[in-house]
Amino acid sequence: MDKILKNRAAHPFILLVFIIILIGILGGERVFTASTLFSVFQQFATLGPISLALGMTMIVRHFDISVAGVMGLAGCVAVLLGAESPLFGIAAAMCLGLVSGAVQGTIIVKLKLSSIGVTLGGLLTLIGLAYVLTGNQELGYARFDISAYIDKPHFDFVSIRFLSALFIFFIASILISWTRYGRDILASGSNPKAASIAGVRVEAIVIGIFIISGVFSALGGALLSYSLAAASPVALSNILVPAAAAAIIGGVSLGGGNGHPIGIAGGVLVICVLQSGLTAIGVEPFVHDIAMGGVLLLVGILNGGDLVRRINDFKRKFIGVSQ
Amino acid sequence: MSQNLEIQKESSQKSFNLMKSIKVADIIRLTVIISLLAFALTTPGFLSSLSIRSLLSTMSFVGCVAVGMTFITLSGNIMSFSIGAGLSAATIIFVALLPYGLFTALVATVIFSAVINGIQGWIIGYFRANPIIVSMAGYSLIIGIMTYFTQGRGLYIQGSEAAFFKQNLGPIPGPFIGLVLAVIVAQLILTYTRVGKRIYLTGSNSKAALAAGFEPWKTIVWAYVLSGVFAAIAAILMASRYSSGDLQHGIGLEFGAISAVLVGGTLIQGGKGSVLHTLLGTLLIAVFQAVLVLRGFSTEIQQLALGVVVLVVIMLQWKKDK
Repeated sequence: MDKILKNRAAHPFILLVFIIILIGILGGERVFTASTLFSVFQQFATLGPISLALGMTMIVRHFDISVAGVMGLAGCVAVLLGAESPLFGIAAAMCLGLVSGAVQGTIIVKLKLSSIGVTLGGLLTLIGLAYVLTGNQELGYARFDISAYIDKPHFDFVSIRFLSALFIFFIASILISWTRYGRDILASGSNPKAASIAGVRVEAIVIGIFIISGVFSALGGALLSYSLAAASPVALSNILVPAAAAAIIGGVSLGGGNGHPIGIAGGVLVICVLQSGLTAIGVEPFVHDIAMGGVLLLVGILNGGDLVRRINDFKRKFIGVSQ
Repeated sequence: MSQNLEIQKESSQKSFNLMKSIKVADIIRLTVIISLLAFALTTPGFLSSLSIRSLLSTMSFVGCVAVGMTFITLSGNIMSFSIGAGLSAATIIFVALLPYGLFTALVATVIFSAVINGIQGWIIGYFRANPIIVSMAGYSLIIGIMTYFTQGRGLYIQGSEAAFFKQNLGPIPGPFIGLVLAVIVAQLILTYTRVGKRIYLTGSNSKAALAAGFEPWKTIVWAYVLSGVFAAIAAILMASRYSSGDLQHGIGLEFGAISAVLVGGTLIQGGKGSVLHTLLGTLLIAVFQAVLVLRGFSTEIQQLALGVVVLVVIMLQWKKDK
């Protein structure tokens, strides 16, 4: 039990159990149906890849805002090129993600620039590309058979799209837990200088992570637009906020060096269960926004560099504890 | 003899430093500005008053937000994701309070905007919390709470109380006058007040700020409060121009604003730049987009071009040392 509590990746799952119990108390048994579970998993398939992409860059002390842009553009590319062969559309989208990640990662590492600045430029460029590609219109995807195929519930609750999302979490987990690169990634995140002295090729690791981030978010975007049978260039903050919230709830620390794909998956589940659960018990959607904002704010404060100092200030002033 | 050599060496080093101090980035910037101006002036129709007037009024809203964002960027906190959402909320507050009189509505809007941004600034400064995460949280909270109050509907201005802000001064559009006044006031604050100087110091080195004897968090709160005040000006101008308050008004404005700040040459890590730079950045982007339109390029190409420009501008900020 102690081991579970100490493992950061387990925290979101503990939180998840509490939320499910809470929703059960508020909504009664009627909430727990196969269709609710299916909707949770479908949301997981949308939010999961992008949250994992963002979370992986946060593990190496960076912050890839461009994931939202990659997701949008990849959706457009997949719809445009995937009319004949859907797999080719996905492959093209993933290539795009790879190029975008490689270019931005290289710029960040070689020019020693802040990742937020570079990926902000990347985000605007990618969105611009999506506008140009689509002519600022929603593109329809004529292959309804594909939409039906990837979203069809098997065993009542798993779709191909959900399994694909699960698959990339699986790959990322293996990468972090069972390969040499996993250790290097965590080391580069927790202390880049020390890692570099110890022989880790920090620059290559960071570029690699940005490539992974690009590919994952591209896959998520391509599958999402297949599922919606449409793609449009609009993205921005709407997906970034829940993606960041999920990664942070999943135990990725803002200072880098901490976090695991399994934890991120837990964080994504928390967000999705909260959203589906609140809808199922008839709460209006804005409550979800407020809850998510509250959690983000709390985590932001708890991760603050001066928190301990401020608590001590508070104690000295009001409780009279002297050092 | 050896002394002579020393002196020679020194002077050659000096001239070398001089060469170094004219940065490549500056040369590129100057070239871009001159070629853009030449390009604009040779574009048929650019100098016609109609195109210039529409240029000036569209750039004014994002310009005011960019002026506000400049304080945040200069103080070392990169950008705020919630400034557009806060502006939308402020337009609703303004329109909702107009029936109680213009003055009440104005004061309440400015205070509201200053407070919601100031709270975020306090959390970011006092706990040294991550500005990106806190402003994302702010975005979510503002959208959620305002949706509760408005049920997602916009409010419309019924009377003519806000007509004053719709006026134009002869040929000059009203919003542009608002922007110019905002820039002047903001630049005066930055240059001549203690808060302004401390914002620069906090942004370039917050530990040094602490060593210099002031708490950086108070300065950061001021930076956010000021950003809220200037966002409120944009909100008032926008609500008056469109005769409505709506949660859609400010969507995505934070990205336009940070683009203007960065294109103007303010450093993304803070400490260097100014509001005048931001005005220049806003103007450059607006002229650039107007030229593209007049030359027959689509609005989609404009979006792409803006993205590429921001990316290039950020790349020009590379650090040679370190």
